[in-house]
Amino acid sequence: MHQQAFSGVKVLEFCDFVAGPYCGKLLANLGAEVIKVEKPGLGDKARSWGPFPQNTPHPEKSGLFLFLNTNKLSVTLNLETATGLKIFRELLKWADILIEDRPQREMRRLKLGYNNIKKINPSIVVTSITPFGQTGPFKDYKGCDLISSHAGAEAFGNPDEGVKDPDKYPPLKGANHAADFMSGLTAAACTLGALIGRDHTGKGQHIDLSQQEAVASIGRQQLAYYAVQGETPSREFGRKKFGGFLYPCKDGFVVIWIGPHYHLVVQMMGNPEWANEEMFANPLLRNQYIAELNQLITAWTLEHTTEEINALALQYGVPCSTVRSVRDLVEDEQLAFREFWLDIEHPVAGTWRYPGAPFRLSATPAIIQRPAPQLGEHNEKVFCQMLGYSREDLVRMRQGGII
Amino acid sequence: MSNLPLESIRVLDFCQMWAGPHATEWLSVMGAEVIKVETSLRIDYMRTVGAPPGLAGTGPNVGSAFATLNWGKKSITLNMNQPRARELAKRLVAISDVVAENFGGSVLERWGLSYAEMRKIKPDIIYYAGSGYGRSGPHKERPAYAEIVDAFTGATFTNGYPDGDPAVVGVSPWTDGAQAIHGAVAIMSALYHRLKTGEGQFIDAAMIEGNSNFLGEMVMSYIINGDIGKRVGNRNAIMAPHGCYPCKMTGDEAEWVAIAVANEKEWKTLCRLMGNPEWTRRPEFSDELSRWKNQDELDQYLAGWTRQYGAYELAEKLQKAGIAATPSLSTKQLTHDPHMRARGFFVETEHPVLGKVLLSGLPIHFSDSPKVNYRCPPLLGEHNEYVFGSLLGLTQAEIKQLTEEKVLY
Repeated sequence: MHQQAFSGVKVLEFCDFVAGPYCGKLLANLGAEVIKVEKPGLGDKARSWGPFPQNTPHPEKSGLFLFLNTNKLSVTLNLETATGLKIFRELLKWADILIEDRPQREMRRLKLGYNNIKKINPSIVVTSITPFGQTGPFKDYKGCDLISSHAGAEAFGNPDEGVKDPDKYPPLKGANHAADFMSGLTAAACTLGALIGRDHTGKGQHIDLSQQEAVASIGRQQLAYYAVQGETPSREFGRKKFGGFLYPCKDGFVVIWIGPHYHLVVQMMGNPEWANEEMFANPLLRNQYIAELNQLITAWTLEHTTEEINALALQYGVPCSTVRSVRDLVEDEQLAFREFWLDIEHPVAGTWRYPGAPFRLSATPAIIQRPAPQLGEHNEKVFCQMLGYSREDLVRMRQGGII
Repeated sequence: MSNLPLESIRVLDFCQMWAGPHATEWLSVMGAEVIKVETSLRIDYMRTVGAPPGLAGTGPNVGSAFATLNWGKKSITLNMNQPRARELAKRLVAISDVVAENFGGSVLERWGLSYAEMRKIKPDIIYYAGSGYGRSGPHKERPAYAEIVDAFTGATFTNGYPDGDPAVVGVSPWTDGAQAIHGAVAIMSALYHRLKTGEGQFIDAAMIEGNSNFLGEMVMSYIINGDIGKRVGNRNAIMAPHGCYPCKMTGDEAEWVAIAVANEKEWKTLCRLMGNPEWTRRPEFSDELSRWKNQDELDQYLAGWTRQYGAYELAEKLQKAGIAATPSLSTKQLTHDPHMRARGFFVETEHPVLGKVLLSGLPIHFSDSPKVNYRCPPLLGEHNEYVFGSLLGLTQAEIKQLTEEKVLY
């Protein structure tokens, strides 16, 4: 088999839903062997989430689960049983990396805190993903995507342009599990740092990933403004002074990014006379009079369709896109040219089109070796072939609610 | 110095703006020596953005935005229009492990630094090319920024309030953040492969492709059911109440609390905390599905209760009872948040132009190397002497002459 970036790297994933599984997926994409430990019964929460074909729930047909768990193996294990815990410890000996997202208190109760784990396997990298991290006054607070989004001030910054009635419209959570994806991605970056570091020292270490911090870190630019300017930030519409703005058109919306491209935007609009006004003479002035400028641009966009503006933007090299739906994305010619989408066959769910790799490595590209696993699909492979339990043991463990 | 994971790695960094610099900032903070190649001809736009009062427009070192995106790096100036500058760049490639750029086009190629050329100089080089649309295909040269990519991928379409228009995705630039950390992951993946095999490679990282992964559920919904999605704001597909509610004002500042009630048990707990008011016993709120279907009304009732409390006070009350809740923090509140402070997320640095300034660190907490690299972000060209003198062996006189001739410029 072709050597992949993480060929031979063994990962134990003890995570639910989006954040941890996205972290595991990034490693599995590039050849790591990822064993996903699920609770017997319903398994990963994403299995119950959907989308399901014809809105008919089925644990092996959830689109979110299928996407997030390609290339992984699945075993079921009940850690509330002594045998389940014993097997989990055996898997910890096997693994180079553990990714886990359980409350710290729960892991400690199971004697699976980092101090316990490093006695079992001193060279393991343990990545703990929790809503608020494992130190500090709020370390035991519960969370989810909504909580991370608001605790990390992403919601405060959304919508970017602010709202016209800040009392009526609360801070807004990012859509599409945004905070969870960012947490999982951030966890992967930390994990890889520790994995590379381990090559020099031979020692593993613990990574304490706070979802609040993962989100807050993306707001670093606004945090820096506050640090040096000291002004109370606003949610009022008009707070945004530069960057990409939304403009209504005859039949929808476009986003245009003016910045240093002002002269191109002006050319695209047919060189209107107002563009030469003193108030728009340089970038600092344009930021100052952005409301006036946007009003004038809007008068122009309202007279055109999104497609007309898109074509003009292409012609003049203006950074611009129509506000498209997912349909346009899936049918996009650029992504088609780059063969981004992957058709993956799953024995129960059938063949669907999935998003491909988030980045491309020329020598070690992401490869789909297998579709997302069925719940406990690899119990025999892992427990019998790898750890040496017999098939009779397997039956007993099933009867005992262990797997 | 403690052992940082990337201590032996050198990165030649041509990245500008947000996503590229933040990707290499991750490497820098983890210990890599990141040499940022800049020029006074076209300074990184971020060097001008977010200046302290009175300093806007006064030079290339006033941008707090630049500072927060370039922790621990070194800065050199090279005027790549000059052939001698290109020769120096090639010599730097020869002693680097990674070359990173996000020009979104063939700029490096024009400078004689295509991947093929760089491999001749350094056979195991890792070349990271970040861009909006990728380095192949009909739209490879199209200019991109986070807000543009969000509109392109459908993120903007699904962002907004349930009763409103699509909205520009905040916190801006969110999608640059995703591109940056995908970039750091890609580069470290390539570094790990090189460690094992000695082989370098080329990384083509397109924002539209990373973003399409973040939008995985939306894509699958369309593929599976033809569903193009809708704007749901703070709401959830199954849970209710699940939203952001008004609290008591603190001074003249609005306060909000986000609450997510996951199940019947937590709902009962919430009812108890509210003192079991009459409305909670109405049939519209009797079970999970009914509450979800009647959440407009449910949210109004709940807001009547949350308004009586401060956001921190209420979040604590709810969390102690086992319900997920948090104050919805503004930039200012986050900066003063006791938990973020206790965890040491913010890092103070003494910057020669900005003065003493408190910037965001990275969300990295390693148990064995707690002191990651938060050296002060570099002034423009601050490390010319070190890089051209100590690393490349040029004499003081040569550096002086190259500076006068605007090669180092």
